[in-house]
Amino acid sequence: MDILANFAMSWLDPWLLLLTAAGTFAGIYIGAIPGLSVTMAVSILISFTFAWPVNDALALIAGIFMGGVYGGSRTAILLNIPGAPSAIATAIEGYPMAKRGEAGEAIGLTTVMSVFGGFVGIAALALFAPVISDFAIMFQSRDYLLLGLIGILLVGTLSGESFAKGAFAGALGVLIGMVGLDPMTAEGRFTFGSITLMGGVPYVAAMIGFFGVAEALVQLHSLDLPAIRQKIDRIIPRFSSVKRYFWLAMRASGIGTIIGALPGTGGDIAALLAYDHAKRSTKNPEVPFGEGAREGLVAPEAANNAAVGGAFIPMLTLGIPGDAVTAVIIGALFIHGLKPGPLMLVETPHLFWFTVGNLVLANIFLLIFGLTGIKVFTKIVQCPKAILIPLIIVLSAVGTYAIQNNPVHIYWMLGFGVLGYFMKTYGFEVGPVILGVILGPMMDSNYRRAMIAAQDDIGVFLMDFTRHPISAVLAILFLTMLLSQTPIWRKLRQAIQARSRINQP
Amino acid sequence: MSGKPTRRPGERAFAVALLAFSLVAFWQAFDISGFQGLSTAGMFPMLASGTMVVASALFTAKALAGPGGTGALSTRLAHFQAAILPYRHVLMIALILAYVLLMPWLGFVVASALFLFASIQLLWRRKPLITLAVTVLALVVIHFIFRVVFQVVLPQGDLLRGMF
Repeated sequence: MDILANFAMSWLDPWLLLLTAAGTFAGIYIGAIPGLSVTMAVSILISFTFAWPVNDALALIAGIFMGGVYGGSRTAILLNIPGAPSAIATAIEGYPMAKRGEAGEAIGLTTVMSVFGGFVGIAALALFAPVISDFAIMFQSRDYLLLGLIGILLVGTLSGESFAKGAFAGALGVLIGMVGLDPMTAEGRFTFGSITLMGGVPYVAAMIGFFGVAEALVQLHSLDLPAIRQKIDRIIPRFSSVKRYFWLAMRASGIGTIIGALPGTGGDIAALLAYDHAKRSTKNPEVPFGEGAREGLVAPEAANNAAVGGAFIPMLTLGIPGDAVTAVIIGALFIHGLKPGPLMLVETPHLFWFTVGNLVLANIFLLIFGLTGIKVFTKIVQCPKAILIPLIIVLSAVGTYAIQNNPVHIYWMLGFGVLGYFMKTYGFEVGPVILGVILGPMMDSNYRRAMIAAQDDIGVFLMDFTRHPISAVLAILFLTMLLSQTPIWRKLRQAIQARSRINQP
Repeated sequence: MSGKPTRRPGERAFAVALLAFSLVAFWQAFDISGFQGLSTAGMFPMLASGTMVVASALFTAKALAGPGGTGALSTRLAHFQAAILPYRHVLMIALILAYVLLMPWLGFVVASALFLFASIQLLWRRKPLITLAVTVLALVVIHFIFRVVFQVVLPQGDLLRGMF
């Protein structure tokens, strides 16, 4: 009964209902405008929700996340510019459809399938999170250390140009997270005697700098994009085509949920894997892939919205972010005094069911807003970047200031923004940095707890990883992932491939 | 990020700078508690900065291994400037810097108005009157949403205290 009451809280409270709707709406538009990412939106917006009650902030964030992941598909279809990385596959099939005059159908189908995907992800969250949470209570300090390392490693290896650059970005984030007074011994770390630095680097300033200012500077390179107008007629998709692609959407949602739930991987990878699955499993597409195949549109869109629910699983049960957006959301939860982790479901179960209810609500709003308002939409996304970029800067500055009313934070934001611009320009991803900032302090304290338990003996510390099945599995996973990035692995694979080629004449 | 990455102008210098930064960070991390024990405050910072040193050594080596830039230093600098830091970027960063430095002094409304007008004029290049209209409209919307609806405290400014 309690569960139902918490689940329905945002459905019955008009203010929360409005916030969820506003969040979803804003998410769709922010996600759709090329250059404005969901991560940027969430990191700028959480700063404004600092003074709000927790529920209000969570309602808004759930809406933005849901809407933003979907929003990228619209510009992908209409302009061939993926509004977000998770819509890259959508552009491959959606834009050719739009060129054939089927933009309306493409958007309609995308919307319905995104909503299906969203529900699958949320259902998985509601079903599995309590189970995983029970399980996670058994996790030891060393397991959390490994989970953090795996998360950063996954983000670092899957994005950017090279493993070295990904690892550097992750470690830099951890280092930024270390600045300030050590929570265990109160020794200053990297403070250089400065009182300002003793409080640590404001991580919201880092987030907004890396995702807002740096991205705005990158966007300055592509100021003038030709606007293409598309004819849009029918948006509500035919029932027959929904029925036809339903099972594909369900399979893609399954992929999306699992990928989303893995620490470090999010909607963008889920979408690409689902696209690949659609390509392999469709034997005779009506239209070849790459020329506007509906299968190739349905699968990635269902998958990336399913990944939203999936990403909440490790976030709420383990306190490990699934991707850059959830890293930012975890930051927001910290600000609101919550500690995402296995105890969150025990101590504050109402928040969990409230979040599930919110996500369902956001998904329903997604269906409503997704199938309406296309005319206004095409006008808004054509807003010139020359106006957009200065606005992003102003919003970033306000957002950074709003956290603690401290102008120094805005200087941090600018510094990180310029650093982020150079990093992006030279092929570094900034996602791992933020993941490192969020996970760094958690990994540090867990490492030290595990080391103290091993009485500072490196041998005992390493042997401890074999003492419990959970630690052993995680350790093997971590080592395999690390090994797969070294040249030894490549040689090994080449050898195996060569042998199988000999065996199969 | 697709296809084979080619070396961008300035990549070597950036890689070397990051390597140098990592080394300094490692030295600073060592300074926290040295090698007194494995669970000291300095251990994890040393692990993190150590990872940075190894990783940056790897990509620096890769960047230095390729064929070097040709031509005189001045042409190479010009190349870097055109590709990585065009005047538009330099001006924009300068404007943002001026904006964040002036904000505590002028207050949010005045500083933002000046910044928006200058930067939109720089990037959009329309008639000043149109830019002014866009600036005012944007400021009214931002002020309404954040000050009135979200109730965010915006910087007031020492110079014009109490006016905005």
